[in-house]
Amino acid sequence: MDDTRRHRTAECDRCELELEAYMEGEARPFVLAHVRECVFCKVVSEDLQALRTAAGELPLEEPSPAVWANVRAQLSAEGTFAEKEGVWSWIWQLDLLRRPVPVAAFACMLVLGCWMTAPRNYPQSEASASLAASGGQPVAVRSMAFVSGGTSLEQVVRELEEAFKAREGSLAPDVKATYENSLSSLDVSIRECNDSLQREPGNSLAHEYLFAAYSQKAEVLSSALDIDEGR
Amino acid sequence: MKAARPAREDLTVAERHQQKTTKTTAFPYGVGIFLCSLALPGLLVAAEGNRVEKTFEAAPTPRVTISNARGLILVRGWDKQQVHIVCSVMSPRVEVDSEVIPPSGPADKVHFSTHILDPLVSGKDQTADYSLDVPMGTDLEIRDTQGSVKIEKLQGDDATVETVGGVIVVSDFTGHLFVRSIGGNIDVIRAAGRVEAYSITGDLHFVSPATSKLRATTTSGRILFEGDFPDGGDYSLSEYSGDMDIICPPSASFELNAKTDRGKLENQMPITIRHQPATPLSSANSLFGTHLTGKATVSLKSFSGTIRIRQR
Repeated sequence: MDDTRRHRTAECDRCELELEAYMEGEARPFVLAHVRECVFCKVVSEDLQALRTAAGELPLEEPSPAVWANVRAQLSAEGTFAEKEGVWSWIWQLDLLRRPVPVAAFACMLVLGCWMTAPRNYPQSEASASLAASGGQPVAVRSMAFVSGGTSLEQVVRELEEAFKAREGSLAPDVKATYENSLSSLDVSIRECNDSLQREPGNSLAHEYLFAAYSQKAEVLSSALDIDEGR
Repeated sequence: MKAARPAREDLTVAERHQQKTTKTTAFPYGVGIFLCSLALPGLLVAAEGNRVEKTFEAAPTPRVTISNARGLILVRGWDKQQVHIVCSVMSPRVEVDSEVIPPSGPADKVHFSTHILDPLVSGKDQTADYSLDVPMGTDLEIRDTQGSVKIEKLQGDDATVETVGGVIVVSDFTGHLFVRSIGGNIDVIRAAGRVEAYSITGDLHFVSPATSKLRATTTSGRILFEGDFPDGGDYSLSEYSGDMDIICPPSASFELNAKTDRGKLENQMPITIRHQPATPLSSANSLFGTHLTGKATVSLKSFSGTIRIRQR
């Protein structure tokens, strides 16, 4: 990716501008022609197309208003979605189209996040049974443990970790150490939150911190994959 | 808006200083001093060769971006409608590029980026130090992987600062500030506007904020907040395992929602306890109430760290 990025041209910029419209189905011959020649833009285009296809294959299930209210309340309490403007401005600050790998990972997380919070007809798990029995508050953000079907945020993080391992050798030692310290700190919090949830499945703070730790870990790994050391 | 072709300008003149070797056999001290006196101007010239100073005329509210690998970036606001940069690089194999958009007339955008020309250059040799003066209202975006960033006295629109391991210090900033350092500490002093500060292992330190909104999160760092909570302010501080210290004046008026799962909560403020929302946490680990009339909203959260609320 670095090699292609070094040769970024004005055509790449134009392609980036037109790509959204192209993905929306508009005829953009320039994009078609450019992605045949430019590896970087081809990868971006293919990633977006793959995401679009994957998202289209997900079942559409409308969660109940109560679930959305809980999710919103929880995220609002965390400050994550405090302001619509803040979130979008933050997303745009990521300069998305220049970073296909982290973008793809985040998009997967978002899709999975929606999927995870959508109501399903799960057989009642031990955790939710104990929640009901204890009369505890419904938990808006489902723990990773509740996700079935083999794909989860955990898995996305694992894939990012593998990509990081492949990349870490090229990082400067102090940069690598900073990333490793941070990841180790996040791993500790993931482990402790999981332990807490084993003992106390209704612990909403542990759910919150677990979700936050996974999200932060994905962010840190994405940042490491995207890092430009001026070369 | 029609995209303007950026003017590309090489800022650094990478001069290699070649030193002649002189063979000396007699009067070693005298000759040594003589050689030093010859070498000194040469060294100064070499140093000057790695230092560049430029000034750009700027449009109102210009956008300035800096992308750097290592080194200190200092940005100050000033009352001129110009962007002034002084930059020095440690190695002649490191170069700082600037892009000015549009290429002529007052700049709407000025981009600075450091390039390592030789892959063998590593560590401190990659250092490029920047010192910038920018107009008030500048939209600022800084990425300094392993360097420190300091912003002083700037009334900006938006400022985004990201580092991996570098320290970020922002003082007397007004506007929307987004700062993130994965492993470095973040200090925000007398900021006004809206502040978002995130770290994983770094400490977060806030002094006398006048912000309407503050969001701060660290995982294993600690949070120290010293100051008042302005009326109507919305403050949300969260950490996982580090400790959190809130030191505020007796006149602070705020509504408090504090909770920690495994840590302790130590409060020395006379808080009027309010009804507690249903929570699995014991009263020793959570506190809901108001101080004075509760004009600001303060949310403090920790998983295993201790939260201390003290009076200044």
